[in-house]
Amino acid sequence: MSSRGLRSRQSSGVSRIRDDQITDLVSKLQLLIPQIRRGRSHKVSASKVLQETCNYIRSLNREVEDLSHRLSELLASTDIDNDQAAIIRSLLM
Amino acid sequence: MGLQRCKFSNKNMSIFERKKAIKLSADTAMASARKGLTCWSRALISNRDRPVPTTTRRASSACKKIVKRSRRIRRTAKCGAARKGQITRSIAQCLVRKRTQILKSLIPGGEFMNEVCLIEETLDYITSLRVQVDVMRSLASASARASEPHN
Repeated sequence: MSSRGLRSRQSSGVSRIRDDQITDLVSKLQLLIPQIRRGRSHKVSASKVLQETCNYIRSLNREVEDLSHRLSELLASTDIDNDQAAIIRSLLM
Repeated sequence: MGLQRCKFSNKNMSIFERKKAIKLSADTAMASARKGLTCWSRALISNRDRPVPTTTRRASSACKKIVKRSRRIRRTAKCGAARKGQITRSIAQCLVRKRTQILKSLIPGGEFMNEVCLIEETLDYITSLRVQVDVMRSLASASARASEPHN
């Protein structure tokens, strides 16, 4: 019985350390996301931070897709004799 | 160097194929730059040739049911402030769980991580994605300048 009490005290101690770790990481995440960082010095809820993180990652992925498309069009249209275009094309393809 | 790891020799590719090749090179370069130090970069490189699985909507529909049920309880119960606080907390926990699942589907290799690891990997992944966007923007503007006709 005493060991059970000790174990539950230890696990609550471990989970408290974990919660602190998670809170600290969420606040770091909050600093990275531009939508939340703008003019907000007080604490934002964890679910809001997670939601904005997901939206931000999706928008970054969309930008990479658009830039890939733009690069593919640009590299297709330039003629092969142009030295700079040849270097860029050989880097990416 | 990471960019040159995927070399495609076919010159007559369609725009779609070329775009896929460019994105693949960019992702490989981004992941290789981490030198195997993060989970997401290792997962991205190992998943390169595998088709991307579609995400399921089961978690979000279960969460919506919980939120609807707790709203009904709030309306009909003659409860005190403590009970309402409990319901608000459970809705918040449900939202956090749902959004953690979505984040796990966005980070490469995320479904195998615990919460702490997931957020650490997310921080690194977002920084790397921003660098990727900057590099590709510079390449695009350099390409645009290179393709301008010389007078």
